[in-house]
Amino acid sequence: MYDRIEMREHSWRGAAVALLACLLALGAPALRAQGLDPGLAAVPVGNVTLRVESGTSEQDMLDVGLVIFSPGIPLDESLHSKLGIFPEIRKAEAQFMPVLLRQVLLETNAWGVVRVLPDKQVSSELLVTGKIRQSDGSRLVLEVSAWDATGRQWLDKTYTDTATERDYPATEGSDPYIDLYRQVANDLLAYRLRLDRRELQVIREVALMRYAASLSEEAFGSYLQRDPEGIYTLVRLPADGDPMMARVERIRNQEHLFVDTVDEQYVNLYEEMAPTYSLWRQYGREQALYQQDYEARAQTKERIGQRGTFSAMEQTYNTYKQIKIQEQDLDEMAQGFNNEVAPTVMEASGKVFRLSGTLESQYNEWRSILREIFVIETGLPAAS
Amino acid sequence: MISARQQYLIPFLLCSLCLFLAGCSSQPEQQRRPVVNQTDAAVDFTGFWELDYSQSDNIQVNLNALVRGLRQPRSQPGGVYQQAGGTMVIGGPGSTNSGASIIGLAQMADLITQSQLLEIEQDKHKIKVKREEDFALTCEFYPGQYHTIETPLGKEICGWDRHQLIFKNLLPEGLTIQHVMSLGPDGQRLNIATTVTSDRVTSPFTVNRVYVRYQPTDDGYSCKMTISRGRVCTTESK
Repeated sequence: MYDRIEMREHSWRGAAVALLACLLALGAPALRAQGLDPGLAAVPVGNVTLRVESGTSEQDMLDVGLVIFSPGIPLDESLHSKLGIFPEIRKAEAQFMPVLLRQVLLETNAWGVVRVLPDKQVSSELLVTGKIRQSDGSRLVLEVSAWDATGRQWLDKTYTDTATERDYPATEGSDPYIDLYRQVANDLLAYRLRLDRRELQVIREVALMRYAASLSEEAFGSYLQRDPEGIYTLVRLPADGDPMMARVERIRNQEHLFVDTVDEQYVNLYEEMAPTYSLWRQYGREQALYQQDYEARAQTKERIGQRGTFSAMEQTYNTYKQIKIQEQDLDEMAQGFNNEVAPTVMEASGKVFRLSGTLESQYNEWRSILREIFVIETGLPAAS
Repeated sequence: MISARQQYLIPFLLCSLCLFLAGCSSQPEQQRRPVVNQTDAAVDFTGFWELDYSQSDNIQVNLNALVRGLRQPRSQPGGVYQQAGGTMVIGGPGSTNSGASIIGLAQMADLITQSQLLEIEQDKHKIKVKREEDFALTCEFYPGQYHTIETPLGKEICGWDRHQLIFKNLLPEGLTIQHVMSLGPDGQRLNIATTVTSDRVTSPFTVNRVYVRYQPTDDGYSCKMTISRGRVCTTESK
């Protein structure tokens, strides 16, 4: 008798395990479909104090290039609403965030010129890239990577920060997620402090020679060696006072001049966008909290009337209606954000000189013009 | 008594059933979906619409038809029967088809379809049906798939079925609402067939509402939403 009962229990336990496994198998695609990503579960950075250097020698200061962030908008448009992504806002954020990181890096007094770049510049002494994984009023998740000119990776990390009620309204010049930017700045500085002056000097020299090689591989390619891991080393250096190098430096300065003009536009965009963006995040957070709270209350709310009666169905419908109206208010706000900020973004993209296209394509066009000038001046074949 | 063989057979059968169901719920869905690419469908509902009562269904008439249908025991598993005194008596499996449930279904249909004015915005990728005194029905179009949104308070599925646009809301407590939008041949009439289904009534309840185009009065100014300044209006008309 007991044996039978036990066997039956085993049988049902087995069935329960199998059923659970099956449910998990069924649930996995659903989770994937919702775009839920375990990578987004990174621990928030918490309160971070920015490490500020004093008396850093100019020789120890590297120039930093911050490339406009990747907005992290999924190609599959059906995921946008599921993930709460408003593409136009994301694109604006991708230009806004590097400017904020730039400000924080400058506050550390540890770096040379920090520029926001429309596109990757491999010859940057230190190049920082970022990708927005999540950005809303409650949470910011950024993937940040950094490489120096020798190809050595300094950073490849996902940062998360959460905002609380105290972070809003954001004061001028600050940000609800300022701790995240401070953490990135501290991590970059920690890495830099591990390098001695000679190593920093090598990074600067490699950066210059990589730039020179990008102008003319034939003339400057042999100064550098690249190992299978992609790390560059200097084989030799041009002689002091080499006239060709003087031209290279002049062309590079021209490029920097262009980047500085572009950079100025990103800063303008940041300043113009900041108040609206801050309100958008604050409202977004309030809406999300209200929605969560409402959903929780609705699920535990006492039912009116018997299931199937008009009063019970009306309650179900009105609960749903309420949440939909909230959701649509948020959509309308996103539209309001676009109405206010999009013209500025567009203006920022079309202002530089008489080049056409986006800042990124203008930058590439400018670089190719500089290369052509270099080829004309030196008579050397252009780098492929 | 369960034999040792059965002990392993039950989990196996359950798992097979689940895998079968999983198969049913994912891939074949793609195949049986009668969804077409919106660019091919090219049905444009854009515009302002007002309810035309004369062409729309009368709820009372539809309710009578539902009750008549439920009275036929052969056609429905649960019927409605009349007692000697004339009161409606529960019929059907469990607690289905009570008078309150049947009338509740009709009242729900009336509540859901009460919007008299609609404003529809549509482009290649999405549609927004703004309904007076109700939330807007929205849908994003993706070739070959329905747009689905799931929340703890309900699930939405929408997409094209040839020239018709279907919105389906699966709400808690067995309540399902479906709106099927179709445009008349001249493009001047919009029919929305709203079907309300409850797990307490064995037949769904459908109401057809017909809308006709109207031209909203031009106020001589246009407004747009902004974040920092709220709604901003200019005298530049639309």
